[in-house]
Amino acid sequence: MSTAMNFSAKSFTPRPPDKGAFPLDHFGECSAFKEQFMECLRHSGYESAACRQRAMAYLECRMDRQLMANEPLEKLGFKDLINEKSEEKPEKL
Amino acid sequence: MALCGPGWARCARGLRLGALPRCGLWGTRGVRSSNPFTRQQEEEWRRRNRSAVGYIAAAAVGMVGLSYAAVPLYRLYCQATGLGGTTGEGSSTERIESMEPVRDRVIRVTFNADVHSSIQWNFKPQQREIYVVPGETALAFYKAKNPTDKPIIGISTYNVIPFEAGQYFNKIQCFCFEEQRLNPQEEVDMPVFFYIDPDFAEDPKMAKVDLITLSYTFFEAKEGQKLPLPGYQ
Repeated sequence: MSTAMNFSAKSFTPRPPDKGAFPLDHFGECSAFKEQFMECLRHSGYESAACRQRAMAYLECRMDRQLMANEPLEKLGFKDLINEKSEEKPEKL
Repeated sequence: MALCGPGWARCARGLRLGALPRCGLWGTRGVRSSNPFTRQQEEEWRRRNRSAVGYIAAAAVGMVGLSYAAVPLYRLYCQATGLGGTTGEGSSTERIESMEPVRDRVIRVTFNADVHSSIQWNFKPQQREIYVVPGETALAFYKAKNPTDKPIIGISTYNVIPFEAGQYFNKIQCFCFEEQRLNPQEEVDMPVFFYIDPDFAEDPKMAKVDLITLSYTFFEAKEGQKLPLPGYQ
């Protein structure tokens, strides 16, 4: 990986993830959400922007089952989706 | 001064006759001048020469020492002023909250999965590629299966190609650098939640980059083995 003798070129230094590692989902509790997300990806031609709703749902599932540290979704980059959700709710009412 | 030739012969004759104390330049350094009026001045010059040589030698040693000291000093300076590029700017959560997606730069991220030969996991990505834009968080999945009859503990590291794009590739959460244990015949999904920094779109060196490859490699974690994990100590 980084064993090439390139003294002048920059080599890659791995950085730890910001929020650490995901605990493993040993019991497959969020597999259904994952399957929905993967299906959405396949349908949309693997475009990430089209499937952010389902990605958010997967992360929410993880947080509900203690497989991820609870974090407000704005801090995970879903600010626009939350605003949409909160706009929808008053409309429905 | 040649040791052969007519001048030397004359000199040797002079030696024999006692006219010259010595021949050629041999032994002329350090000879006191026979003229008493210039002796003091010559001593003064010699003293000044010696001190000048001393100063120059000290300066040379000082330069060598400075070049050695420059490395940690520069590092300190970079840390203090944040110009090193390795220091993070502010808190990452604030960055994620405030960043705006750059819609006109679509980047294709391909996924690669490797295992070291000593670990018997089946490890592969669940999507070959994904199209993202900088400034937007994205989710991707890998899958790992332990087909053996005993639990195996693995630990992974990752690599981003091209190397220069790696500084913009930020993982919010993944499964790397921590031991992951898979029970016999167990299969799990391993998510990677990442984003590409919006500054990627403004870097002129990245203007031609539209393909980034994320590569994970799993190794077997043996009992009591201390791995050099970045940032986790």
